[in-house]
Amino acid sequence: MDFRKSEEQELLIDNLRELFSNEGLTESYFAECDIKHAYPEKMTKVLLENGYTFLGLPEEYGGTPCDNLTQIMIYEEIARLGAPVYAQFNMYIALKDMIEFGTKEQMRLVMDIAKTGTTPLSLAITEPQAGSDTSAIATTATRKNGKVYINGHKTFITGAGDFPYMLCVTRDLDNPKPHKAMSMWLLRNDAPGITMRKLDKIGTNTIGAYEVYLENVEIDETDLVGAEGNGFMQMVKNFEFERLVQCSYSLGWAEAAFEDAVRYAGQRVQFGQSIGSFQLIQKKISDMALKIENMRNILYKTSWELDNNIPVQISSALTKLCCVGPGYEVLDDALQIFGGIGYTNDLRIQRLWRDSRLQKIAGGTEEIMYHISSRAIIKQHQ
Amino acid sequence: MKIVACYKCVPEEEEIKVKSDRTLDFLKAQWKIGLYDLNAVEAGMKLMEEVGGEVAVMTAADDIVENSKMRKAILSRGPAQMYGIKDDAMKTADSYATAQVLKAGIEKIGGIDLVLCGEGSGDIYAQQVGPVLGALLGWPTVNAVSKITPADRKLLVERSIEDGTEVLEVDLPAVVCVTSDINIPRIPTMKEILGAGKKPSTIWNLADVGAKIVNGSDTISILAPEQTDRLRIIFEGGSEENIEALYSHLRKMRRQ
Repeated sequence: MDFRKSEEQELLIDNLRELFSNEGLTESYFAECDIKHAYPEKMTKVLLENGYTFLGLPEEYGGTPCDNLTQIMIYEEIARLGAPVYAQFNMYIALKDMIEFGTKEQMRLVMDIAKTGTTPLSLAITEPQAGSDTSAIATTATRKNGKVYINGHKTFITGAGDFPYMLCVTRDLDNPKPHKAMSMWLLRNDAPGITMRKLDKIGTNTIGAYEVYLENVEIDETDLVGAEGNGFMQMVKNFEFERLVQCSYSLGWAEAAFEDAVRYAGQRVQFGQSIGSFQLIQKKISDMALKIENMRNILYKTSWELDNNIPVQISSALTKLCCVGPGYEVLDDALQIFGGIGYTNDLRIQRLWRDSRLQKIAGGTEEIMYHISSRAIIKQHQ
Repeated sequence: MKIVACYKCVPEEEEIKVKSDRTLDFLKAQWKIGLYDLNAVEAGMKLMEEVGGEVAVMTAADDIVENSKMRKAILSRGPAQMYGIKDDAMKTADSYATAQVLKAGIEKIGGIDLVLCGEGSGDIYAQQVGPVLGALLGWPTVNAVSKITPADRKLLVERSIEDGTEVLEVDLPAVVCVTSDINIPRIPTMKEILGAGKKPSTIWNLADVGAKIVNGSDTISILAPEQTDRLRIIFEGGSEENIEALYSHLRKMRRQ
């Protein structure tokens, strides 16, 4: 079994490092974006101009076909450099969803925006009473006088206030089968009837999360994306890859924190010796290395499975469990190794720690990952 | 315009270790394309984009010629194809021998209008191979070139010299060695990297190009500079006295 990266992968990663270094995408830039809660425009522009943004999308849309594993490695590297990598992924998932389910008109609209470097749309799924329980979605689409009216209340919608459009999931409340009753609609985020409130999060500061109120927002039948009632299936189609991408953030940030912490452990002197010579620090270091090794192996393997059309329903859930929790532990241990200065805003460890904490919740909580994987494992053995 | 840019694979200098006898240890050093060679390739690409034609790259070395990652690394910078002349004796070839082999390669390809080289290799930086190659080919040869403008069947080049810039008209075919000021080499795009492996590579041995490796010089040794201990002379505080003392000290050192 050859566990080495391919030459192309090595070259892509080397290039990415050179690109970030040459274009001033460095720690001080990432720190500034975080402190100012500013969208990383420069990073987005550089990645777009160099073909990274449309990686994995079909050539007819200006993309470069690429396997999932290589894409995962690229996200991992961007994270490992300490960058707000999560801001980058929104573009990809927005376009992927539209390519799969949008009409030619909708696709053209979305691509025109994407080409300028702006992420065209946000994904409005979650509601105050419907987080893990998507069957409780209560936003409705009501037909009247040849138009469609959207009413509801969404929350934790990434980029709703920043991206010009919104892919809004509604449910037909009269249908007893909730997962066959959902539909997706393309809305302008400044349509009359839409009001928003930006949430005050503790991390992932470079991209806002919003509460969105929809009151009789008028749209047309042609704004339906995909098939009516098929919204849920459409939604989950790209979930598996999205899970793996989140794992690549956890992995990359863990690698960055690990490097910082190990270097520090070798330098910091207390009681006349480097703290790296104390057993409790040594245990942390080995545990961190072990977790990173496991995270990387399972993530690469599951990405390989996805590339080879092997079902990843169970393995993607297990991968997320292996990565987001342990990944956060690595970040936490790293902060502990730094001691007092780890708790200040002078170092990057605090930013990576805050940002990685979200991965245990967003895109499917750890608890749901346990539910998905074990239910399917038990079914397999019957 | 048919252009060939010459390149050399060199060890990553940060990974070279100095042994206690001052000789160099390359064991942990990764290979990379010589930095200045990338400027030559980029200059070729820019010219081709302006006047049309083709850019190929060429190297003469030992086994590293066939290294797949190095081939992809250079081909992802834009050239249409790669030529490599492979022989073990290239490991100890000097600038003169290297230029002889490259000349044979250029003549074998035939019909070349312009050969581009970096000012020097990324490791030895003797700055000889380009000029010697030009002399052996019998073509107009210029080095220290910081700008190239194509004209009809010739080039207008700017050379950076001590007191200013020299502008020369150079007839083709020619050999031009470029400085690192001439351009900033493009960073390969995703598409280029993923497509590099598919571009053609032609590997020749010495017999194929009709060349021999004959050194014009003898390398006696390559040693790292002697380690000198830090002097640890400290001028503490920004008083006039100290500034004067530092200044005199620096002047004294400079004269030594």
